Parts: sequence; structure tokens; C-alpha cells
Amino acid sequence: MTISKAVITAAGKDQTHLPLQTVVDRSGRARSALELVLAEVVSAGIEDIAIVVAPGEQDRYLAAAGSFASRLTFFIQHDPQGYGDAILRAQAFVDREMFLHLVGDHLYVSDHSQWSCAAQLVAVAQQEQCSVSAIQPTHESKLRFFGAIGGTPVAHAEKLYEVTAIMEKPTPTQAEQSLIVAGQRSGYYLCFFGMHVLTPTIMDLLAEAKSAVANTRTDASASLNLSDSLRKLIQREKYLAFQIQGQRFNIGETYGLLIAQMALALSGPDRDRILVELIELLARPK
Amino acid sequence: MIMRSLIDLIVSSDPAVRDLSIESQVGKMSRPELMEQTRALDRFRRDHENLYERVRALFFLYAIHRFHLPNLVPESEVGKIAFEGHQHFLQRRFNEAIDVFLVEQERSGPSWAVSSALAAAYHRLAFQTLADQVRKSVKTVAGNRWMFRTGNPDEVPLKIRSELLERNAETGYPILRERTSVRMDFSHSAWSDIFFLGMDYPQGARVINASINLAVQGRHQSPEPPLDCCLRVIDRPVLRLVSIDLNAVVEITQLSQVFDFAADYVGLLKAAVIASGLVPAGLEGHQADIASVLRPLVGTGLGLEIVSRVNDIPKGSRLAVSTNLLGGLISLCMRATNQVSALTGSLTEADRRIVAARAILGEWLGGSGGGWQDSGGVWPGIKLIEGCAAAAGDPEFGISRGRLLPQHHVFSQTEVAAETRQRLQDSLILVHGGMAQNVGPILEMVTEKYLLRSDREWQARGAAIQILEQIVQHLSHGDIRAIGAATDQNFSGPLQAIIPWCTNAYTERLIARCRENYGPDFWGFWMLGGMAGGGMGFIFNPTRKVEARQWLWELMKATKRELEHALPFAMDPVVYDFEINDQGTQAQLLSGGSYPVGYYPLLVPGWLRQDIQSLSNETRAELERVGQLCRDSEKDLASKLIARILPGKTDGSVSRQSLTELLEVNGFDPVAHQQLREDLLAGRLGLAQNLLPSTTTIEDVQAGDVVDCREPLTKSIMELGRAAIERGEVGVVTLAAGIGSRWTQGAGVVKALHPFVRMAGRHRSFLEIHLAKSQQTGRLHGRRPLHIVTTGYMTEQPIQAAVERWQQQNNVDGVFVSPGKSVGLRMIPTTRDLRFAWEEMPQQVLDQQQQKVRQSLRSALMNWAQSAGEAADYTDNLPMQCLHPVGHWFEVPNLLRNGLLNELLQNQPQLKYLLLHNVDTLGSAVEPGLLGMHIQSRACLSIEVITRRMEDRGGGLARVNDRVRLVEGLAMPNERDEFNVTFYNSMTTWIDIDQLLERFGLSRSNLADAERVLKAVRQFARRLPTYITLKDVKKRWGNGQEDVFPVCQFEKLWGDMTSLADVSCQYLAVPTWRGQQLKDPAQLDGWLRDGSAATIERKCDFVA
Repeated sequence: MTISKAVITAAGKDQTHLPLQTVVDRSGRARSALELVLAEVVSAGIEDIAIVVAPGEQDRYLAAAGSFASRLTFFIQHDPQGYGDAILRAQAFVDREMFLHLVGDHLYVSDHSQWSCAAQLVAVAQQEQCSVSAIQPTHESKLRFFGAIGGTPVAHAEKLYEVTAIMEKPTPTQAEQSLIVAGQRSGYYLCFFGMHVLTPTIMDLLAEAKSAVANTRTDASASLNLSDSLRKLIQREKYLAFQIQGQRFNIGETYGLLIAQMALALSGPDRDRILVELIELLARPK
Repeated sequence: MIMRSLIDLIVSSDPAVRDLSIESQVGKMSRPELMEQTRALDRFRRDHENLYERVRALFFLYAIHRFHLPNLVPESEVGKIAFEGHQHFLQRRFNEAIDVFLVEQERSGPSWAVSSALAAAYHRLAFQTLADQVRKSVKTVAGNRWMFRTGNPDEVPLKIRSELLERNAETGYPILRERTSVRMDFSHSAWSDIFFLGMDYPQGARVINASINLAVQGRHQSPEPPLDCCLRVIDRPVLRLVSIDLNAVVEITQLSQVFDFAADYVGLLKAAVIASGLVPAGLEGHQADIASVLRPLVGTGLGLEIVSRVNDIPKGSRLAVSTNLLGGLISLCMRATNQVSALTGSLTEADRRIVAARAILGEWLGGSGGGWQDSGGVWPGIKLIEGCAAAAGDPEFGISRGRLLPQHHVFSQTEVAAETRQRLQDSLILVHGGMAQNVGPILEMVTEKYLLRSDREWQARGAAIQILEQIVQHLSHGDIRAIGAATDQNFSGPLQAIIPWCTNAYTERLIARCRENYGPDFWGFWMLGGMAGGGMGFIFNPTRKVEARQWLWELMKATKRELEHALPFAMDPVVYDFEINDQGTQAQLLSGGSYPVGYYPLLVPGWLRQDIQSLSNETRAELERVGQLCRDSEKDLASKLIARILPGKTDGSVSRQSLTELLEVNGFDPVAHQQLREDLLAGRLGLAQNLLPSTTTIEDVQAGDVVDCREPLTKSIMELGRAAIERGEVGVVTLAAGIGSRWTQGAGVVKALHPFVRMAGRHRSFLEIHLAKSQQTGRLHGRRPLHIVTTGYMTEQPIQAAVERWQQQNNVDGVFVSPGKSVGLRMIPTTRDLRFAWEEMPQQVLDQQQQKVRQSLRSALMNWAQSAGEAADYTDNLPMQCLHPVGHWFEVPNLLRNGLLNELLQNQPQLKYLLLHNVDTLGSAVEPGLLGMHIQSRACLSIEVITRRMEDRGGGLARVNDRVRLVEGLAMPNERDEFNVTFYNSMTTWIDIDQLLERFGLSRSNLADAERVLKAVRQFARRLPTYITLKDVKKRWGNGQEDVFPVCQFEKLWGDMTSLADVSCQYLAVPTWRGQQLKDPAQLDGWLRDGSAATIERKCDFVA
């Protein structure tokens, strides 16, 4: 099965403005963060893209999408009912196909000479024909920002792991007890990259979880996360994680956008110029 | 029996070989065979990685050098302990020390001295190896490792849970409150919860314990979890640590303060903060504000407050209060930072295990130690805790047979019925007997005995394991009476077979009285924790429990009063009510203001002392709430606050009055005291000034300087002595004015009366043993020597009473008490002397973390000395603890001054000689041969010396500027000189009375002239040096809390008599058992096992 669809979530409470920020891409062109995310998706050969946004945001996103605007299908998450619920909004769009999923508040910089991060992930998923989450070794001091997996390396496949455990924003105490993966540096854990290829089963699981929540909770704010459903996915079918050759930047963190911008600039032809500017800044008296 | 290589005993997989005792193998070995075994063992322990193999080889080597090889080496084969080896030893470079000692042994052959040094080094290395392994294992437990990797505040990965940041406008930030019970062990299968035992012998490591709630009878209404901890966010970027029971509030602003454990009373809270990961251990040494850690953890401008409260449970309860408090605090902090699954309610089994692992880490950080069962209060109900084998993937796999952490099986209601639990509560009386003792030495002895597998002790271990099985059965059948019988049998059988010191005269007396008074209705004694005397259990027929409880309380109080001069009681006995806690540690999220009792009275006065504008908004609001509470309902709170804020009448004036009276009564010389203070402050006196001039030459004695009396003496000499005894020419002087500072770490009890060892069926004190030796002398020689016991301000009355009692019981007389006539007032030490003692003098470096704690404590004590006033009078303690005896030299002149010697000479004019000895020199007795040697020599003094061993520090016999004399260790100008000295001073001295009087310028005829005697004593005293010494003194407060302060005092010492040219002296080398002094309870086990105790017991006639 080829992968031709992508779902981007951007409806989070503090997230709506993030994809609309302007950054300078590695070629020196000023673009919106959303444009960069969409370019990442398209680089993987995907044409149909769904974006889940908060009510009233559609026009601004359309404007920020630049040349990719025509490929977008919008879904509105009316109440903030969680990350999992946002993905579930695109259930009809996915239509029993495997799909690429990205979060809207991350930017990606590939270290691969030819392939973008999304392209690397999609290639692995198409080869393995199963759900694959992109992961990155992450220092334990950053664990509180990410979901993390435990797993076992897949034989004869580099940087590919069979997922055995998932924890959302674990403490290092929990991670050390449950998420140790052979071959990793001490103090580093395999954390989500904000990018997954998922089979339609995930939509089933999210729907099941949503109805379970609806049956047990009466308040509208009941939140549906993705990690619980991914954990169930492990029981249902083959689920792998792939260590991407690249970096992800959460632009929602303090200084996240700045650091992402630096990484983009330093990965392009203006690298020397940026370094000189940085050194001058560093050399100035405090 | 086939003689095996000792290495076979270590490596064999066959338990029949592996569990053989070392005694069974080395008993018949010749000296060359034994030496060969030591070489092989030493090679073996160097080449092998396995923890058990290395440690057992080290203990074998220790045992051979401590107990076996010396039996094959005559004491006269003199050896010396290499100074370089000793230096390595002090710095904990035990391997290097061993290398140096072995070279010495190869060069000059085995000797008592070198064997003692090797034994000490192997012993310490064995324990160091174990401690290193436990430390490594604790650090490598999954879930603990990251804390040691976090080296920068920016990397702190934890974040406080959002629920704790939800501020309520009325009540402020919510409070997370954790309540934890303590643990009561039914049996620990002979201390099998010591980490190493569990790691080496997991199948034998089994404990049953119960989590219990407590109420102190007379203070509390009903049992509740005694450990209460709270955490909340505060609006200042500080870490505020509060210990309500210790009256301590510390606001931490710098990261380094968190690691300064002994700077204040919140060391345990600090250990919990680190062990829970709030401030990860890897941040130690980082110079930063605490705010840099709090910012990512709680938020900008915010801080944390952690409060602990122990509900009136005194120290020494043997209920693992500190470990469970640590467990409760760690659980609280881990809940608050999402490290365990539940914010409130119970913990899961996985959570409890990580909390227990962290509690072990916290104990190590705080420099203390406990067993692995100790955090049992975190678990619910009654449980069986067992060691478990290490498996692949465990950090211990391949290193030790068992894991560091045991597994817990909580008995269900089916396994132990609710009725059984109730019946247990209806029968068991739980008490604190009042003694708070250090259980550390006992745990070391247990480890050593486990590895040596001595027959009796190994069998006892097996018996203890069987008793635990029986208790499990009895629990399942609900047979409480049988449980009582089993715990009683456990205590009187296996536990005492392994460690005789786990009981004491006090406990034995209580048990005997229970049996006498209640007969079959007393179902048994139950030892809790490591030793008896503190927390204990007594099981009675439930129909009599209520009356027995009151009776037992009265009995304990009365028995304590009888024995309080002899045993180190820390507090009055208490009786508890208890109930089994079937929930384990529990947390609740409460609205602000829901603090444990005692919080506001402790905090509010401090807030009120500050300018209201400088208080944070939160604190101001809190003050308003407290005000409202006082006005509305909490009248009790209001009165407590007033008591704290407004000064009340204290009893300080009473203490001062009583101190003044004591000083007057005991011959205190205020003029000399003031002179001493001026000399101290001016630097004319001090530890550095104790030293002889550095130009002094100190060499070992030469042939002929010492008469060897270790082999039998000639018949004629023996006859000379025997005849003198028969004629009544000899008396014994036991010096007992001292209070055994080292023996009880400054507890201020009468060492002479401490019933420390069981002989002839019951516990005997030092004094009883000395008197029993005189009894035997009387039986053997037809005339019992008169016996004088010298006393001081603290020991006179108790010793007088004890002597009267003893004479009555034995129906004899002839024992005289010599009252003290001089006393000093202790002073605050100068920082110069503290520095000299701690930085200039050689010190035994402690294990890594303990050393850090010690340094932190010393820094705090240095501040104390400065703030209390250097050389100021030390008066902030019980009056008796402020006085000090002025050195044993004065105890002989006291005999002249108080008229006792004159009276004795009048009544027994043939009395010519005195045998003077220290109260802790237990082997000293009137021996005809030695007396004969003294008579024949016509010397004024004959001093007994012994071969110097590693533990004999403090000077010895030497040629000082070519004159043979005793030199005190504190006068040795160069530490190296002490290691050239072969003989150690036993202090035991044969005195020619007339010659001594002559040296004082006195004679028998003018002893009645008090003025002349006083003048003579003063003149003589001026000829002897005055030494400044530092002694530890305990200050007790609260519920059995004890602080130890170093205080300054002066002394004149008997050994300096030998420095006077006109005092003729001879030196007699005697066997070690005769001259060995018991200064430290840690010596007791070796003293018992090397046969010294048995030799001495044979020289005693105990009548009653």
C-alpha cells in the first residue's frame, strides 16, 4: 500500500499561532512555519493533506500555506478534546488508508543528503507495511516534553525498533524502569519525533477510546490522547519505530522558534555568515 | 577430619564444605601451614572479582590474624607496626596498608603486633568492599541512575504536578500530605536483612514485619500513622525544610546547602530531597542558587516547602522510624513530581519498590544505614520479605547471588485472618525501654560471623530461619501464644548465640520479672530490630494485658531508676498502643492550611519577628488565616503560639544553682579554672601545647629495660608475693572516677557499674569482676586483699551504693570507696584546638559519604564553639555533664586527702603495697609472681606493659632523651615515634606505699595532717604536666534526641609519674589479656572470642 495522505494537527490550545510564524528556510527565503511543514510532507510524495485546526483559523492557515494551499483539506476541532481527538477528526479523510501524521508545532531538519525526514519515514513504512513512528534519541532532561518508547532492535535493520512500551512525557525514574533500549547511550531515550505513519487501525482505536471516554466521563473537557491508542496498537498489529536521520524542533517551547531558525540557517548556504554573527554576539561584553 | 584448603570452603558449591567453619579447619594447622594458607588466601582475594569470594577470603584472613595465628606465636616475639602502613590505614587505603604490613611480616616473621595490624586492615577492607558494593548497587537500581548523571540545574528533568500549582485565592496552594506507619518485625532471621546477607544468601534472608500505627500511652488518644509529611508550593524561590518534632526550620537558598547534611537538624529531609530526585545527587558540588533548580521544577519565583513530623516516637524505638520517615518523604516528593503513578491514595507495588530503593539511597547519603526490611512501613499489613536471587539483567547478576532489594509478599486476610491480627493487638505490649543505643557494631559482628560460619553461630542462623517458618505457621493458625513462645525462643536462643550483646541486664531483669509475676500468662519476649533495651515487645495472655501494661510501665520506670547510673538511658520508658496498618503509606491532597499539629507554633513566631512588608503575599495571607483560626476555634493553637512568642519562666536558674552547688561540694578551684581559661585563650595551653618539645628523642626500649613476666616466674618470686598477700601487705585500687566517655560516647554513666558481660549466669559490671577477682585471691591465698574503689563527683554515690549492695549480697567487707576531691568545669573548646584535633592530628578517614557528613558536622561544631564563646564555661547541659574528672593522677592523691589511706594504714599497718589499675583493665589481679617481682625490685612503682597492637593507641613505654618512661600519646611530638614503641602502657601499677609517701614528702605518721597533705599534693602536682583534652559529651533533648559536643577539659595523668627522676620505676611485660583495656563496646566481641573473657572469668569467684 502506498502512502498518499497526511494529517497535520494544529488545533491545540496554545498551538494555533505557531504554524503561522515566519522563519527563513535553509535557502534563505522567508516562509511560514506551516509552509515548511507542508513542504516536508510533499517531499515524501504525498499530495492530499488534511489539517485539523481550531474554529476560525482556517483562513489564516490557508493564507500561510502559500503554494500548497490547494492541496489542503481542513477539519475543525470545535472543543479542545485532546490530541487523539484531533487526529480522529480526519477519520473520513484517511478512509482506511495508511497516512502520514505530523504535528503542526514542529519543524524538521534532515541530516540525510537526499531525503527529507518525512521521506525517510514513509519509505520505511512502505517497506514494512505497518505503522512506524519516527523517533529520536533524546536526553533525559527533555523527557517531560515528549512521548517515549521502549523497544527491541529489529534484526538486520538499522535504527528500526519493535515498539514494546510507550509512555507519555515520562520522568527519568519511569523511563529507566520501563524504556531502556539496547544500544542507546546512557541517559538517552527514544522519543517521538512528532511524525508517524499510521495504519487505519489507529482510527479504530481512537474511536473506541473516544466512545469509552464518552461512556465514563460526562464533562466536555475529557481529553483523548494518542499514546493510549498507540499502546493498544502494539497489541493489535506490528508497530515499529524508526530513528530518523534528522532533527526536530518544537517551536512551542521557550526559544523553540529561535533554535529551529538557527538550525535551519546553519544547515543552509548562509551557515558561515550566521556563525560570524553569532561569534560577534558572543564576543560582545555582557 | 580431612584438612582442606580454606579456599575450598569459599569456592565449593557443596554446602557441606562451603558452610564449614574456619575454626574446624585451622585449629590443627601448624604455624607454617597457617602462614601458607594466608598467602594463598591473599592471592585469591586479589585475583577474584566475585563479591562473596573476595569478602569471605578477607574475613578468613582477618580471623586468622586476629584469633588463630597469635596462638602460634609467642608474645615475646616482638614485632612492630610499620608507620607507613598505619598512614595508609587511616586514609582508608587498606590494600596498600596490607601490602606494607605483609612486607614487614615477611621480613621479621609473624608477630602479635603485625597480625593485629593485618587483622584490622583485612577487617576494614572487607567492610569497605561490602559498602562499595551496596553503594554501587543502590546507584545502579533502575530508576535511581539518572540522578547521578544530572550535573547541571538546567538538566533537572522533573516538573511539579499541575494539581499542586492550582492556587486557591482563600487557602493558597494545596498541600500534599503523606502519612506513613512504622514497621515492627516479628523475626529478622538473625539480622538477615543486612544488605550483604541478602545479597549473598538470599534463601536465608527472610523477615516478617508488620506496618503499625502507634499511640504513646498517656499522650495520644488512639493509634495513627506516626510519620506525617507535607509538601506544598510556596511563593518564594527557596526550599523550606521543616522538622516539627526537632523544632527546625531551614530555608535553603544555595544548592550546596542541600548537601550539607549535618549543618542543622533537617539532614533527613535533605537526604529525602536528594534521593527523591528533586535535587539530583549529580548536582553536588554545583555552585548555584536553589532557584535555578526550582525554576524548571516549580516555576519562576516559586519554591517548595517540605514538612515532617514524627508523632512523639522516641529515638531507638527499633521500629525503623527514620527509614520509614525517609520512605514517606521520598514517596511524597515522588508523587509530587510524577515519578510514581498516584498523586494520592496508596502506592502500587512497583512504586513501593522504587521508594524503598530510594530510601536506601537516602540512608547512604545521610551516612546512616539500615536493613532492607526497614522501609516496611511503606507497605501495608503483615508481610514476608525475602531475598531473591539475581537474574540476568539485574545489576547484581554475576557479582552477588542475590539482589539488593528483596521481594515483599503481603499476607492476605486469608493467610493471616483479621481475628489473628486483632488477637495480636490484644496480647502484645509494645514499649520503649528508654535505651537508645547504636546498633551499628552489632550489624558488623553479624556479617563477620555469617562469613566465618563458626559452628555454633551457623547452627543458630539455621534455627532462626526455622523459627521464622514457625511464626508464619502460627500466624496462619492464629496462635498468638505460640508466636510469643517462638519470639522468646528466638531471642534467648539463636539471637544471643550469634550476638550475646543484643541483650543487656535491663532487658533480662524485665523479662525475669515478667515471668515471676505473670507465670504462664506471660507468653514471651519479642526483640525488635537490632537489639533489646529500646523498642521491645512483651506478649501476655490478653485477659491480663491491660493490668500488665500498667505494671510493666511502672516496672520499667523503677528498673530504669535503679540502673540509670550504669546503663545509657536516653529517656524515660514509654508504652505504646498500636494497631496494624493495612493500607501502607497514604497521601491526600488537602486545601491550604491543613498542616500537622505543631506547624504553626513553630513557623509563626519567625514570621512575626519579620517586618510585615518583607513577608511574601502567601505568608501574609497565612498569618491572617492563623489569626482567624485562633479567634474562631483553635484555642489550643492560640495558647501554643503564646507559649512560643512570649517568654515564660524557665528552669535554667535551677540548673545553674545546682551546678554551682556541685562545684562547691566537689572541690572546684575557681582561681585555677580562671587561670586555665586565660592560658587557653593566650595559647599557653592547648592540644598543640600538650606535645613534648620537637627536639625530644623518643626511642624504643632496650634489652633489660623491661622484665619479661609473660612466662611463669620462679618459685621463689612467687613465694615472696604469696607470703606478702597472706600477711595482708597488699591492697587493690580500682580507678573508677571516670565516666567512660568512649564507652558510651559521652552518655555520662558510671562505667564501673555497667553490667556489660554475662559471667557465671548473669550480667556483670566492671566493678563486680574486679571484686570477684579479689575474692578469688582471698580464696587461693587465705587472705582477701582490701579493695579500694576511687570515685569522682559523678561516680561516688552510685559506686558507694553498689559496693554496699555487693558486700551485703556476698556477706563480706573490706571494700572501700575513696571519694573524689577535685573536679573541673568543662569549657567550650577553642577553634584552634578543634582545628588541631581534626586537621593536624591523625584521623581515621570514614567511608566516602560518612566522611562528608562528619566534615559538615565539624564545620557546624566549629561555628558552635565560636558563637558559644571559646574557652567559656560549658553550662548548657545537665549539671553533671558540665563537670569533669581531672585525670586519674588525682585519684591517688585523693586517697591521701580524703583520709582513706591513713585510716586503712591505721587499721592494717602491715599494708605495704597497692595494685592500682584502671577500671577497664579487666585482667588486672593480684598475682603473687608479679607482686614478688615488685617487692624484689624495691622500686617505688612497677608498671605493667603489654605488647603493642594496632588498636593500642595513646603512647607507650619509650626511652625519652635516653630515660625509660611512659609517654602519653597526646604528648608524642611525632606520630611516627609511637610506631617505634614495642610496649603499650596498661596503666596497672604496683605501688610501694612508703616510697610513694616519701616522694610526696609525707610518711604514715603525718597522713592525718590534712593541711600538710594538701600542701604536699599541690606541690607534687606542679611537677606534672597538665594536658588539655577534648571529650565528647551528650546533650539529650526532646524524645531521646542526643547531640554530641566536643568539650574541653584538663587532666593530669598517672603515667607521668614515671617522668620524675626521683620516682624509681621498673617495667613488667605481662600477657595481653591481663593488660588489655576495654574502651569501646566494639572490642567486646573480639575480647570474648579470643579467650580473654574466659581467662578472666576463671580468675573470678562470683558468689552472688
